[in-house]
Amino acid sequence: MREILVTGAAAVTALGRDLETTAARLAAGESAVAEVPASEAGERKGPAYAARIGSFTTEPEMPRAKARRLDRASQYAVVAVTRCVAEAGWTMAGNEEETGILLGTGSAGAGPLVDFERQMAVESPETASPFLFPYTVSNAPASVAAIELKIKGPNVTITQKDPAGLNALFYARFLLEDGRARAIVAGAVDEWNLTYHLSYERLGVLATATRAGYAMTEGCSVVFLETAESARARGALPWARLAGAASSGSPVSPQARRARPGDVAATLRAALGDAGVEPAAVGLVHASANGVPWVDAAEAAALADVFGTSPLPRVERVKLLAGENPCSGALQLALAARALRDDPSLGAVVVNSLGAGGNQIAAVFTAP
Amino acid sequence: MSERTVVVTGLGAVSSLGNDLASTWAGLVAGRSGIGPITLFDASGFRTKLAAEVPQLPDCGVPSRLRRRLSRTDVIGLAAAREALADSGLDLDLDREDPGRIGVVLGGGVSGLLDSEGYFRDLLAKGPRGARPTRILNHPPDQTTDRIAEVWGFRGPRATITTACSSSSTSLGYAADLIRAGMADVVVTGGADSFARLTHGGFNALRACDPEPCRPFDRNRKGLTIGEASGILVFEEEGRARRRGATIRARFLGYGITSDAHHMTQPEPSGEAGARTIRACLRSARLNPGDVDYVNAHGTATVQNDPAETLSIKLALGERARQICVSSNKSMLGHCLCSAGAIEAVATVRTIETGVVPPTIHYVEPDPECDLDVVPNTAREHPVRVALSNSFAFGGNSTVVAFGRA
Repeated sequence: MREILVTGAAAVTALGRDLETTAARLAAGESAVAEVPASEAGERKGPAYAARIGSFTTEPEMPRAKARRLDRASQYAVVAVTRCVAEAGWTMAGNEEETGILLGTGSAGAGPLVDFERQMAVESPETASPFLFPYTVSNAPASVAAIELKIKGPNVTITQKDPAGLNALFYARFLLEDGRARAIVAGAVDEWNLTYHLSYERLGVLATATRAGYAMTEGCSVVFLETAESARARGALPWARLAGAASSGSPVSPQARRARPGDVAATLRAALGDAGVEPAAVGLVHASANGVPWVDAAEAAALADVFGTSPLPRVERVKLLAGENPCSGALQLALAARALRDDPSLGAVVVNSLGAGGNQIAAVFTAP
Repeated sequence: MSERTVVVTGLGAVSSLGNDLASTWAGLVAGRSGIGPITLFDASGFRTKLAAEVPQLPDCGVPSRLRRRLSRTDVIGLAAAREALADSGLDLDLDREDPGRIGVVLGGGVSGLLDSEGYFRDLLAKGPRGARPTRILNHPPDQTTDRIAEVWGFRGPRATITTACSSSSTSLGYAADLIRAGMADVVVTGGADSFARLTHGGFNALRACDPEPCRPFDRNRKGLTIGEASGILVFEEEGRARRRGATIRARFLGYGITSDAHHMTQPEPSGEAGARTIRACLRSARLNPGDVDYVNAHGTATVQNDPAETLSIKLALGERARQICVSSNKSMLGHCLCSAGAIEAVATVRTIETGVVPPTIHYVEPDPECDLDVVPNTAREHPVRVALSNSFAFGGNSTVVAFGRA
């Protein structure tokens, strides 16, 4: 089996336009979660919270004039992927066909889709914009980034509730092990959209001042995965090793946010087993915890079960500050690799991601 | 990766030609068109008023309290999965099967969009009080994947590939990789996608829809016709399938997956990008061009796709391209978008099993730029040991899969 390393990462989040800023603000306990005000959403009962990026420029990575035709998610992806490739020191020229891109998403295309539907309904089907339609597909961000950077290896978008970013990593590992690429940019991208936000608000799943729940967020976070042979041959500095992963699903309704501690623990153990890492060797866990009390409690119980006999590792719950969506799971992958880069004595870092519909993926990184 | 190999032990289909595998296949072999006037919404404002709709939704075998909550895509996906699982002969008593070793990987995209569109329209016309937000609950493309796992109690890995028109071909690749890597023994794979205003309106806005039924590879083709379908394949680790005495319909030999990095909506015109994907597939499947007997073409009938695809096949297969059949199921099923690769994979497996190649119908005038043997209008008996199925998508996401005789 090929050894796979992380040799770079990047993040565009509601806390910052890059990974270092995002990490520093998270370390300082800063939150991106804020009320969506009535000035935007209209008057309604108990307004909900979101972690939004707000004004955003693609410059210097892409000229503003060129970015104007792109949806928000594609803009985030272009910036994050460009920065990630640069961070890894990867030369694209001559390596285009050896480079892949895999992004997860839960929401890419939402903005163009709502706009296109509005044009068809309010104006007429004939006046709906042909320039908008291509960006309604979820694979637009990865493909726009691929076109921009000339990435010609595997190009995949995976839609899943929250664990989609980890799913991209999970599939990327097979592609790298099979020799389909030497390097893959893997992560997730999301776009916050007012229409969707208000709908979910009315469905009662989002956090409000009086109700526990999660806050949706947006952005794009990615890690640069590379075979060890490739990284060594070009003398790249490895941040972390992708040691193992596990993917599972509990058979529940697709919208159900439900988790049983036993199931969650079993998947965590499967990931550690796949990585050949003992629980005692884990120095940090990025938990899935996103503010849904019963799921967070189930995860906490599972962590206590898995790590209970060893000294408990540090547990970080960044989604409470950065918001929830597949892009947050991908941010945790980037933070996990960064943590091992800065402190290899952590040994191993686990990222856990639980989603509605019983989906769970866990990944294990170790010091390179 | 290891030498675990992947076989197809179950097939299921729902399409405009019929609500099961037998009727869909019979329609394809008979060269019957599933294309007709749009009934699911008022199409009067659109340039193209035709689609390949599933005429009557099948019984997907779930209790009515669950049935009420399903989208059109879920219903056809569950019905095709039900048929495929029955076909596989798997013992679905999960006390005997390990549910953690059975995964679900589908291609999807439209999902419950038809309902969401109703919600968006109500929102615009009547404001929030006049619109029921529960109508968007089926909107996420991974709904059908989760529903299949829910209904049968599967606990293995799941994924939903959303790379537009190559989604479900890529899902086959992911599913096979899960088995080969030892992460699952059985994966329910393929895809389901149904009709909606957005996709029809979008391709109309791009002037990519033919006002007449689509005519792949014909000189006067004017674009695609949108269809809807579900094709489900049960992939299984070969040793396990043999031990339990399963009927093996075909082998999944491998796949190629690449990015054109050319344009969001246009294919790369020299054919080199598509050829690269075909070559990657041959490499993955350890095949030579001379091994290929049939190509189930992407064959959308857009002005740009068909000549570019013809060039790709010629570049990748060389002389062999002239000796084989290349037909487009889309001439009958329409372009089923995110489930196109799945329903066409199902048809490809049936072609290998029966030695009958479905035709490309509505074919009148040859196009010198599409000069392969496209099996015009009438099915043909042609022994097929190895077949490829091409899928090329918006964004330059290209996937080619290879199946071989059991």
